[in-house]
Amino acid sequence: MNAQKKLIIIDDDPNYVDGIKSVLETANYSVDVAYNPKDGFKALQTKRYDLLLLDIMMGRGAEGVALARKIRKDPLLRELPVLIITGIREQIAFLFPGQPVHPHFVELDELLEKPVEPKLLLEKVSSLLKMAEEKKS
Amino acid sequence: MKQYAYYPGCSLESLGKSYHVSALEVARTLGVELMEIEDWNCCGATAYFPVDELLAYTLTARNLAKAEKTGLDFVAPCSACYKNAYFTNSYLQKDADLAEHINYALEADNLHVSGTSRVRHLIEVFINDVGLEEIKNKVMNPLKNLRVAPYYGCQILRPRKDHEDVENPQYFEGLLSTIGADPVDYASKTRCCGGSLIITNRKAALDMVQILLQNAVAQKADVIATTCPMCNVNLEVYQNQVNREFGTQYSIPVMYFTQLMGLAFGVVPGHLGIGKEQVSGASLLAFAQNTKQEKNL
Amino acid sequence: MVDALSFSSEVSNLMYASHGDPITNCLQCGTCSGTCPAVEFMDHTPRQIIGMIRADLKEEVLASNTYWTCASCYNCTVRCPAEIDIADMMYALKRYSMWKGTFQEGLIGPAFSEAFVKMIVNSGRSFEPLLAATYLPRFNASDIIQEGLMATGLVLSGKMPLLPKRIKGLKKFQQMVRRIIPIGEPS
Repeated sequence: MNAQKKLIIIDDDPNYVDGIKSVLETANYSVDVAYNPKDGFKALQTKRYDLLLLDIMMGRGAEGVALARKIRKDPLLRELPVLIITGIREQIAFLFPGQPVHPHFVELDELLEKPVEPKLLLEKVSSLLKMAEEKKS
Repeated sequence: MKQYAYYPGCSLESLGKSYHVSALEVARTLGVELMEIEDWNCCGATAYFPVDELLAYTLTARNLAKAEKTGLDFVAPCSACYKNAYFTNSYLQKDADLAEHINYALEADNLHVSGTSRVRHLIEVFINDVGLEEIKNKVMNPLKNLRVAPYYGCQILRPRKDHEDVENPQYFEGLLSTIGADPVDYASKTRCCGGSLIITNRKAALDMVQILLQNAVAQKADVIATTCPMCNVNLEVYQNQVNREFGTQYSIPVMYFTQLMGLAFGVVPGHLGIGKEQVSGASLLAFAQNTKQEKNL
Repeated sequence: MVDALSFSSEVSNLMYASHGDPITNCLQCGTCSGTCPAVEFMDHTPRQIIGMIRADLKEEVLASNTYWTCASCYNCTVRCPAEIDIADMMYALKRYSMWKGTFQEGLIGPAFSEAFVKMIVNSGRSFEPLLAATYLPRFNASDIIQEGLMATGLVLSGKMPLLPKRIKGLKKFQQMVRRIIPIGEPS
């Protein structure tokens, strides 16, 4: 019996969050949300999650990068699969025009750029969860 | 010799050049060595905060890290650079996560910041480290009867850093009295000059500058003394524009405090960048006449 | 976890080290507006903006010129009896509006920040003449001439550089930037 997977989204954009939350819940995932990195990290420490969907541009700036690195350093959170969903190129479009987002600035993560098609989102979530399961066994 | 890690900032190499040369002259006279930080970068002023504050801190942290290598206090003559450095340093000391992340970035430049530097503004280095006694000893030409409006500006005082009075500070007046001048009662001494609004909202900045000029003139000041290149530029370079905008006829010199100190020490005005202004400082040279005459005797 | 995120929470999330939602502590006393030196040029006062944020009037707040007219003088911050860092809030609003690309038309602030930020990333230093490109387009012909005359005066007195400067360790500097903003080739 496959226990319901618990996901957490850390993203400061309530409209975007509403959108992907309903896609994920319809696919029978349990979804929690934190709208800033501080609340997000606290949630990660109080409850066990199976996957994290993480935004980059939040709070003071590219906080998602700092949070992802912090998670990788934490012995308990190190193995948590992280799916980064970012609109960074659009948000600060002028700074590095035309350049791609660096996808592996932390190990073991996937990166998608907003907007994400629901089908692709679910595919990535499911494949990351599967990879994490296989690693455990 | 007191040594400091000196961070001139971008303005001092261009618009604020007189500040830079006069600061070095005054430091030399007072036995202070301002050692320029090697290959420093722009602090970002106020422009980075609307984009990414973490990047803003990183820019300043790079300069702080370089200063730390020397083990000397970090000294900035520009109030905006000073404010950025002070708070970046303070946040790095208080927030371990932030420090860890910024250091991760600095590592790419083989640098590391520990928050052990003390961040100082040039004016308080002279007042607190050298001391008014010693400054008085170097005064060969007290600027007698020179009425000076002591313009602190805003970011040197606000947000609150440590102990100083942000509402009615007096240390600038104390310094001016020490060099023999007459600081006037300048009610708008902590009122903003507009800063970068001179570019992003010209009308607002000119209005703010006009209020400062008006107050100085009302107090019969001969000169407005500044502690920041942005303030100096707004008050001096744009004085013509203020006159065009408001139909006024201001023509009041605006000098850096280091230029006035230099004059009081008997330094040749040309070595203090005097003579390169848009609003002529010629009237002030009358207060430097004594020195020249005495030297010729 | 909140279901519906209030706009004031959104703004607070953008502010440095904010705990909870400081904006809701506002007493609407008006000290900030009374002490703001640029208030006459704002279409809403700082106090009104905070009131509007709390009333979830997101679009109206973003469309106002208030936060882009803030000079960061911190008068409001040091005097607010509810200890709200209002100047920091103005920066948070600036960030919000830049990341979303929504702000009042005709404002120079966003273009200025863009140009400045880019300039430093590309060379490590600022270069005044480049910044002129952000505001000259808004000037009429006679103002441009005046500006040109002023600039000439500055050049002649050696106060305006004609060539941009560059730091020596630029490559590593840019790699440092890319560790904060993960765009482009990794180091």
